[in-house]
Amino acid sequence: MTAYAIELQSLRRTFDVRGGAQRLALDRVDLSLPTSGVHGLLGPNGAGKTTICKIIATVLLPTSGRARVLGHDVVRETATVRSLLGIVFGGERGLYERLTAMENLQFWCAMHGMRAGPGRRRAQDLLERLGLGSRAQHRVETFSRGMKQRLHLARGLVSDPPVLLLDEPTVGMDPVSARDFRTVIADLRAEGRTVLLTTHDMDEAQALCDSVTFIDNGRLLGTGSPAHVRGMLGNSRRIMIDDVDAAAAGDLTGVLDRLPAHVRARLQIRHDPADHTLSIEVPTETHVIAAVMSAVLAAGHTAVSAAPPSLGEVYLTLLGTDAQGARRGMEVG
Amino acid sequence: MYTPVTWTVGWLGRILMQVAFFGLIGLLLQDPEAVRYLFIGQAVMACVVETFMAVASTTWERLSGTLGLLVAAPGALWPVLVGRSVQWLPSGIATSSIALFGLGPAFGVRWHPSTAAIGLCLVVLTALTMYPVALSVAALVLRGPRWRNVASNVSHTLVMLITGVTVPTTFWPDWVQDLALGMPLTHGLAAIRDVQESAAGWDRAGAAAALMVGLGACWLALAAAAFTLFARMGRADGSIDLRD
Amino acid sequence: MIRAIGAGCAHQLRMMRGTPDWFLALFTTPLLTAVFLTIFQASARQDLTTYAVLAPALMALWTMSLQTAGELISQERENGSLEALLAAPAPFAAVLFGRIGAVTLVSLVAFVEAWLVGWLLTGAPLPVPHPVLFVLTVAATTWSMTGWAGVMACVFVLARSARTFQNSLSYPFFVLGGVLVPVTLLPDWLSWPARAVFLSWSADLLRDSLDAAPVVMAGGRLLIVAALGAAGYVLSHALLTRTLRRVRTTGRLAHA
Repeated sequence: MTAYAIELQSLRRTFDVRGGAQRLALDRVDLSLPTSGVHGLLGPNGAGKTTICKIIATVLLPTSGRARVLGHDVVRETATVRSLLGIVFGGERGLYERLTAMENLQFWCAMHGMRAGPGRRRAQDLLERLGLGSRAQHRVETFSRGMKQRLHLARGLVSDPPVLLLDEPTVGMDPVSARDFRTVIADLRAEGRTVLLTTHDMDEAQALCDSVTFIDNGRLLGTGSPAHVRGMLGNSRRIMIDDVDAAAAGDLTGVLDRLPAHVRARLQIRHDPADHTLSIEVPTETHVIAAVMSAVLAAGHTAVSAAPPSLGEVYLTLLGTDAQGARRGMEVG
Repeated sequence: MYTPVTWTVGWLGRILMQVAFFGLIGLLLQDPEAVRYLFIGQAVMACVVETFMAVASTTWERLSGTLGLLVAAPGALWPVLVGRSVQWLPSGIATSSIALFGLGPAFGVRWHPSTAAIGLCLVVLTALTMYPVALSVAALVLRGPRWRNVASNVSHTLVMLITGVTVPTTFWPDWVQDLALGMPLTHGLAAIRDVQESAAGWDRAGAAAALMVGLGACWLALAAAAFTLFARMGRADGSIDLRD
Repeated sequence: MIRAIGAGCAHQLRMMRGTPDWFLALFTTPLLTAVFLTIFQASARQDLTTYAVLAPALMALWTMSLQTAGELISQERENGSLEALLAAPAPFAAVLFGRIGAVTLVSLVAFVEAWLVGWLLTGAPLPVPHPVLFVLTVAATTWSMTGWAGVMACVFVLARSARTFQNSLSYPFFVLGGVLVPVTLLPDWLSWPARAVFLSWSADLLRDSLDAAPVVMAGGRLLIVAALGAAGYVLSHALLTRTLRRVRTTGRLAHA
C-alpha cells in the first residue's frame, strides 16, 4: 500500500465561462497527504477547495495532472477509487428530506452494493454511533442542522471507507453540534482513517487537523502541521486588546508612539473596527513585550492577551482576508 | 413564468393540440357535428384550465413564506389573494381565442366578424367569471398546499365533465344539471355555441352575460369569505408559519 | 446491476409516498375515463367503450413516465445528491431505470381505475377476450415506456430549455400515439410519423385484445412495440453516457 492517502500532482482544472474565456480553478497543485490523520484544506470561497474534492471524488475530471487515492488514479481507476471513498458534501442539501434517516442510509448502502439485510444493520449501527438511533424512523425534514450533518457523515461512512472527504461539514452548525461533530471526527482519526476536511473555521482546523494546507485562487500557499504553518509568520507574538473602539485605538496608538523609538519601530499595530480589537505584533523579546504590555495596562486596558499567532492569523496574513473572504482590519501604526 | 417563445411553443402549442385531440374524437364518431361540438367546448375550456392555475399559484404565497406577513399586514387578506393570480387571465383569454378563431375554421367552426366579436366578449367574460370559482378551490387548498396540483386538475376536469364542454348538460341527471347551472362556464359556453351555430346576436349574449356576472359575483363573495376564514382558522390553530 | 435497479425502484416508491403530485395522473384517470365514455354514450356509440377505457390509462402511463423523466435527474441536482450518486459505486443508469420503472409500474394502476369506471358507467365489466395478448402488450408497453422515459430524462438534462416544453409533450403524443383515435384515422402525413411512436402500436394492440375478433399478426406487432422500446434503451444509454461524461468534464450538467 502506498504511503499516501491522497496525492495530487500538477493538478490543473479550468472551467469555460461565457464569452469563450477560461477560469483557472486549480493551478498545478501538488499535494501529498499521508494515510491516517485529519488533513485540513483551508481557503476562502472560490479558492478551489471544492474543485479538489470533486476531482478526488471522481465527479469531475482534471484538465491536466493526476490525482490518486491510496495509489489509485481517479481517472483510470474510477471504480476502485469510488469504493475507497466516503464523501460528505457540506450544507443541508444532499439528503432525501421526505425519507426517514434509516431509509436514506439504506438507499446509500444499496448504492454501495450492499444487500438489504447487511445494509439495514449497517445503517442501524451508524445511526446509533452518530447519536441518531432514536430518530432512525423520523423524516429528515424534521431534523436540525446538526442532526442532518451527522446523517451526512453517516452516509459517507456506509461503505466503511478508509478515506473520507468532508467538504465544509460544520458550516452553519450551532456551537454545541459543531463540538459534538468534531468529537466524531477525532474518533474517525483514532480508527486510522484518513480525513480530508475543508473548512472556513480556523479554530476547527487548529483543534482537529494534523496537517493544514492553505489554498487561494487555485494555488497552494503553504502546507504543514499547524505548528509549522504558524511558524511561517516568523518568530513573533501577538498582543490582543479587546473592547477597543476607534477613539480608544487612536489613544492607544498615541500611548505606544511614546515608547522608545527602537521599540516602537518594531511594532505592527492593526485595529479591527468590526471586532473592536487592536492587535500588536511584537518580536519575541521579553523586554519589548514587557514594555508594550505595561504601556497598554497603564492606559487602562485589562482585556489583554499575548500568544503566538493563531491559524486564523496565519490565514489572514497569507491570504489578506478573513475566512469569509472579506478584507479586514486596517493599519494604524 | 412565460417568455414569448415558451408561451407560443410550449403553452399555446400544448393547448391547441389538446383542443385538436378532442376535435379528432369527432372523426372517430364520423360526425362533423360532434367535431364542432367537441372543438368549441375544448377551445373555451382552455381559458378555464388556465384560470384554474390560480389554485396552485395562490399556494405559492404560502410556500414562499409570505403568507404569514400578509396575514400580519393591516389590510384584509382576500383582495391580495384575489389579485395574486390574475396573470393567468390574459394568457387564458388569448389561448382560447386563438384556438376558437384561428384553429376553428380547420375543424369546421366558422365565424363572421360580428359573431366573432360577440364570441370574444363571451370568452373574456367566461375567463373573468370562472376565476373566482378557481379562487374558491384555492382557498380550500391553502389548508393543504401539497394537494394544489391535484385539486386544480381534478376540479377543472369535473367542471369540464358537467358544464356542456364534451356532452350536453341534458345528458346528466337533474341534480348534476342543477350543479352545472351554478358554473358561469355553462352559460358562457352555451351562448358561444348559439352565436356560432345560429348567429344569435348581442341580446342572447347579453342575457348570458348578466347571468355570468351574477354568478361570478357570488363565487367572488364565496372566495373572499373562504380566504378570510382561512386566515382566522390559521391564527387560531397556528398553521400559518412565517417560514413555511 | 440488478440490485441497483431494485434499490432505485424501492427508493422511488419511498420518495413518492405522501407526495400527491407523483400520482396526479391517477387522480384524473377516472374523470377522463368518464369524459370519454360519456362522449361516446351521448352519441350512442357503446361500441367505442374499449377506446374510452384504454385511452386514459395509456395517457396516465405516458404522463407519469414523462414527468418522472423530466424530474429525476434535475431533482437530484437540486437536492444536492446528484454528485454523491454519481460518485457511488452503483451504476447510475441502473438506478435511474429502476426509478423510472417504479413509476411506470405504479402508473399501471390507471388501467384498473379506468376499467372500474367503465364498469360503473356502463353497468357491465368490460370483457377481455384476449387476456394473454392484453397482458403481454401491457408488459411490452411498460418496457418501452421506461426506455423512452430514459431518453427524455437525458434530453431534459442536456437541454435544460427542453424542460419548459415538458408539459407540451403530452397531447401531441396522445394524437401521434393514437391513444384514443387510431392513427389510421389521421391524415396521411400524420399517420406515417405516428408509426414511429411505439404507443401507436401498443394502443392498436390493446384495443384489438379487448375485441372479440381474432387479432391479426399479434406476435409481429408485439415485437415492434418491444423493438421500438429497445431502440429507446440504446438511445438513452448513449445519451446518458454523454451526459455523465459532460458532467465530469465540464462540471456542469446542462448546456447553458
